[in-house]
Amino acid sequence: MIDKSKGLSKAKGIYANRSHRVKELKAEGKKIIGYPCMYVPLEIITALDLISYRTYGDMAEPVTEADRALPTAFCPIMRSCLDCALKAKDDFLDGIVTTHSCDPQEKTARVWESYINYSYFHFIDMPGTLRPEALEYYRGQIGDFKKSLESFAAKELSSDKVKAAIRLHNRQRALVRELYELTKPEPPLISGTEILQVVKALMSLPVTEGNELLDQAISEVQGRTDGPQKKPARLLVWSNTLDDIDIMQIFEAGANVVIDESCGGIRAYRADVMLTDDPLDGLTHYYATEITCARTFREAVFGEASKDYMVDLESRFGHLKHIAKEWNADGAIFLLVRYCDPFAFEMPSIKDYFDSFGIPSTYIEYDYTQGSLAPLRTRVEAFLETIS
Amino acid sequence: MAEEAKKKAISRLKSMYPLRAKVDETYLKSVEAMRAGKPTVWAMLNFYYGDPIIKAMDLEVVYPENYGAAMAAMGVAQSYLDRADAEGFPTHLCGYSRANLGYTSRMMKELKGEIPPEAPLGGMPKPIFLMASTAVCDARYKWFQALGRYMDVPVWTFEAPIPGVKELFMEGSYERMVDLGVKHAREFVVFVERVLGKKMDWDRLSETVDLMIEINELWHETNELRKAKPCPMHGRDFWSSMSPALFLMGDLKDSLQCFRNMYDEVKYRVDNHIGAIAQEKYRLLFAELPPWHSLGFFNRLAERGWNFVVESFGYHPPMPLDLNGFSDPLERLTRFSLQVYVGYYRDALEQNVPAGSFAYPYLKYAREWKCDGAFLHPLISCRSASTHLPYVSNVLMERLKVPSLTIEGDIVDLRLFDPEDAISKAEPFEETMEHYRRIRRQEGLDW
Amino acid sequence: MTKIVLTQRDHRVLSAIKGPTGPEHRQLANEVMKMALEKANLQLDEISYVVATGYGRLNVPFADRQITELTCHARGVSSLFTNVRTAIDIGGQDAKCMKINNGKMVDFVMNDKCAAGTGRFLEIIAATLGAKVEQLGDISLKSTKKLEISSFCTIFAQQEVVTRLSDGENLEDIIAGLHDALASRVAGLARRLKIEPDVVLTGGVAKNAGIVKAMKENLGCELLIPEDPLLTGALGAAILANEYFQKAMSKAEASPTKARRLEKAIFFR
Repeated sequence: MIDKSKGLSKAKGIYANRSHRVKELKAEGKKIIGYPCMYVPLEIITALDLISYRTYGDMAEPVTEADRALPTAFCPIMRSCLDCALKAKDDFLDGIVTTHSCDPQEKTARVWESYINYSYFHFIDMPGTLRPEALEYYRGQIGDFKKSLESFAAKELSSDKVKAAIRLHNRQRALVRELYELTKPEPPLISGTEILQVVKALMSLPVTEGNELLDQAISEVQGRTDGPQKKPARLLVWSNTLDDIDIMQIFEAGANVVIDESCGGIRAYRADVMLTDDPLDGLTHYYATEITCARTFREAVFGEASKDYMVDLESRFGHLKHIAKEWNADGAIFLLVRYCDPFAFEMPSIKDYFDSFGIPSTYIEYDYTQGSLAPLRTRVEAFLETIS
Repeated sequence: MAEEAKKKAISRLKSMYPLRAKVDETYLKSVEAMRAGKPTVWAMLNFYYGDPIIKAMDLEVVYPENYGAAMAAMGVAQSYLDRADAEGFPTHLCGYSRANLGYTSRMMKELKGEIPPEAPLGGMPKPIFLMASTAVCDARYKWFQALGRYMDVPVWTFEAPIPGVKELFMEGSYERMVDLGVKHAREFVVFVERVLGKKMDWDRLSETVDLMIEINELWHETNELRKAKPCPMHGRDFWSSMSPALFLMGDLKDSLQCFRNMYDEVKYRVDNHIGAIAQEKYRLLFAELPPWHSLGFFNRLAERGWNFVVESFGYHPPMPLDLNGFSDPLERLTRFSLQVYVGYYRDALEQNVPAGSFAYPYLKYAREWKCDGAFLHPLISCRSASTHLPYVSNVLMERLKVPSLTIEGDIVDLRLFDPEDAISKAEPFEETMEHYRRIRRQEGLDW
Repeated sequence: MTKIVLTQRDHRVLSAIKGPTGPEHRQLANEVMKMALEKANLQLDEISYVVATGYGRLNVPFADRQITELTCHARGVSSLFTNVRTAIDIGGQDAKCMKINNGKMVDFVMNDKCAAGTGRFLEIIAATLGAKVEQLGDISLKSTKKLEISSFCTIFAQQEVVTRLSDGENLEDIIAGLHDALASRVAGLARRLKIEPDVVLTGGVAKNAGIVKAMKENLGCELLIPEDPLLTGALGAAILANEYFQKAMSKAEASPTKARRLEKAIFFR
C-alpha cells in the first residue's frame, strides 16, 4: 500500500497540485513570497519565517493574457509565468522577489510589478561578471533585499537567524545531492521524472517540510525494488529550467536521465552556501558563483590579457565534465527554450567542450508549448539512435 | 520636381552636415589607421563608460553593432548569417551578433586573420581586445564571449547596473552603484595598460571626460529646444548628428564647436517660430532603432505633416547632473554614465512607474514634447529593442491617452520593413491621433 | 503520405506502396498495409517484423518497433548508395539532413517548424499560381533570368509572387527563383552538418528537376537521387526490421514478432 503522504508519492501529488500546502499555510496566517528564478536568496525569506514559493510557467496553459504586455518573440517560460500571474493563478502570493538574472526576467519583473498589486515587491539587481567589485555591488543588493523584506515582515534579522536559515537550506542541498547519488547505479534507482517531481515539490514547500520529504524519498529509494528499467543510454540533460515531466518522459522512453543540470534539477543544489561571519557574504558568493546559469560571464582569470579557448571553456563548463563523468553519462542533450540568449550563445562552444572529452551531444530547441513535444520526441529518439 | 519637393519636406539643419560628415571622416581615418596596423578594439555601445578611456589611450575602436547595420544596409550580411548558421549558432540570436560571428569565422578560420576582401567599408581587423557591456541586453556580452571560438582575444565586460526604481532610493544604493562603476573603470584602465604596455595619461583622460560631458550637456539643451511648437528639428537630424556625442568620434573640441553651432541654429529657429517641416500637424515620438536604410520614408510622412520631435532615450544624452566636486575623472565618467537610466528614476518613482528603465522616459517625452502619437518599430531579431514596446504602448495610452502605431522591421533582414505598408497605415493613424487629442483635452491634459 | 515497403531478408523489395494520409487516413496504415500484402501475395502473419517510422509511427498498432525517420532514411539511402556521407530529405512538411558514416547515422538536423524549405512551400505556391505542383520543375528549367525571391516566409513569398507577376516578370523566372529560395533554405540547414560527398537527395521534392538543379547550385556539389525518392524511409525501416529480427533470433530469444492484427489505430481509450 503506497503511502501517498510520504516520499515519492507525496512528491507526485504535490507536482499535480503545487499550491495546496502554501494555501493551507496562508490560511494559518503565514505570508507567501513568490520567486521566478533560482537566483533569489531564499534563506532571507526563510529566516523571516515567510514561506518561499517558486512561480513557474505552465506548458499546458495557452498564453493569452500575457499578450497584452509581452510580444511572442520572448522567453516563453517567463511569458507563461506572467500569463499565469495575470490569470490570478498565484493570487495567494503576498509578494514576489525578482532578479536581474537575464533580460526576460528583468523586463517581466517591471511589467509584473505594474500590472499586479502585491503587498510586497522587490527587484534584486545582479552584475554580469564575478569581478570583486561586481560581487561587492551584489552584496549591497542582497543587503537591500534583506532590509526591504525585514520592513515587510516588520521584523529585524539577526545574523544568527540568517545562519540558521542557511543551515536549513544547505541541508536541503545536501539531501538533494544524496538523492542524485541514487542515479549513479546501473540502472539508476530513481528516474529523472521522479526527481523532477521531488524538486518541484521542494520549491512548493517550506524548507523544513521539503527536507522531511527528501529524507523519506531517500530511504524509500534506497530500499526499493521497483526502480526504473535499464535503458540503452544514460543521459545528461543541460537546460535552462526543466519543469515538466512530459519532457522528461520523452527522454526516458528511450534512456535513463541520470543527471539534469537545470533549474528544475541539480543546479541550485550542487554546492553549499559557505557559513561566513557575516552570512550575507556567504550568500553573495554562493548565488553569484555557484548557480551555473549561462547568464554569468565567467572568465578563467579576471581581466586576463591573454586568452585560450579551451581554458575558457573549462572555466565555464568544467562542472559539467565532472558531472558527466561522475554519473557515467553516455550522451548529453542540450535542451534549450527558444529565445533564451544566454544559453543559446553557449552553442556551439559547449558542444566543442563535450566533444573534447568524447561525450556525444545534441542541441534541441523547444518553445515551451504542448505542440513542441512531438518534434522534441523525434529529435531525442534520433539522437538516441545515433549513440546506441 | 516631386522628388525635390519630397526632399525639401524636411528642412534639414545646416549644422547637421558637419556632424554627419564627421561620422564618415572618422570612419575613413579609422580604416587607414587600422590598415597601418594601429591597435584596434571591438566595442559595444557602452554609454560613455569605456569610450573615453579607449580614446585617451589612443586606440582605434570599431563597433560591430554599427558595422552590422552597415553590412545589412549594403545587402552583404546574408553570407555571414549563413555562415553563423552553419557553425551551429541558434537562429534566434541577434542578427548583428550572427553577422559578426560569421564574419569573424570567415576572417579567422578561412583567411587566417586577414580581413575578408569582400567586407564592406574596409572591414574590421582582428582586435587586440573586445570591450563588451551588460547594458541593454544579454547578447552584448555573451556574443563577445562566443567570439572566443575564433579568436583568442581577451574580453572586458563592463557592468551596467540597472536596479529597480524604488530600490534605487534605498539607503546607500546609488552610492554602491557609483562605487562599482569607479572601481570597475579603474580596473579597466589597469587592464588596458597591461594589454598595451603603456600608461594612462590621466590629464588627457580628464580632458576627454570633461569634453564628453560638455558636448552631451549642450546636446541635451539642444534637444530640450525641440519641445517648442513647431518643433525646429526633425528626428532625421537627430539621428544624423547623434554619433559624435554618443561615440566620441574624432576631435572632441571640434565636435563641441559643431554642437554649439547646432544649438545656435536650433535656438534661432525657436525664436523665429521656424519648424523643421512646413506644416506641423502631428508630433511623434519614435522608438527604438530607426530603419537606417530607409530614412527617406520620413520625408513622405513629413509631407503629411508628421514631425518627429523626440526619439529613443538610449540615444539621447543622459539627464544632466552636477558633477562639480568630483575630481576623479573616473567618478565623473561613472556618475554621468549611470544617468542614462537612473536620470529618470526620481520622476518615475513620483509617477509610480516601475519600468523606469524602459518605459518611463517615453511618458516623460510624450508629455514634455507634447506628442500626438508614438511610432513604435519592433525589430524581429533585436529583442532588446522590441520586447518592451507593447508595454510602452499600453502605458502611453493608459496614462496619457497617446496612441501608438507599430510597424515592424528587422536589423539585418531589411526587407521586413515595408514603407508602403507603413504609409498606408499612416492615414488611419492620423484619425486616431486626432481622436485622442480630443480625449486628452477632455481629460484636462494640455496637448 | 503513408509508404510501405516489404522486403525479403536480402533486402529484395517485394512490394512498395504509397497511400494518402489525410486527417481521415492517419488511422488507416492498416489499409495501405493490406494493399502492400496483396501486391506481394502475402499474409500479415508471414511478415517477420514490422518497423514503423515517420510522424505517424505511433499510430501503427501492428508495428513491432518505432524508429525515427532520420535513422530509417539514413539506412535506406546507404543501402542504395554505399558511399553516401550526407543525405538530404525534403518531405512534404519537413526537411532533414543526415550525416552518415558506414551506413549509420551519426548526426542530423531537422526543420519541422516552418513550411519554407519543404514540399509544402511548393504546394502553396502552385496553388497561388493555379498550377500543378508536378509541373513546376519543368517550368523553372525554362528560366533565363535570375530572380531573387527575398521573402523568408512562405506566406510572404506568396505575396511576392503576385507582386512580381504584376511587375511583368516571367512565370519561369519567378518559379526558378522560388526553387532557388527553397534550395537555399535546405542548403543552409544542411551546412550545419559539414557536407561531405556522396550527397544523396530524397523526398517527393527530389522528383522536381528544378529543385535538383537549384540544390546542386546552392550546395555546390553533385547529387545522387534514387529511382524512387519517396520510399527510402520505408526501405530503411524494412532493412532495420530485418536487422532487429536477425539479432533477436541469433540470441535465441523468443520471437520478437508481436501478436498483431491488421486494425486501425485507436487514439482514445
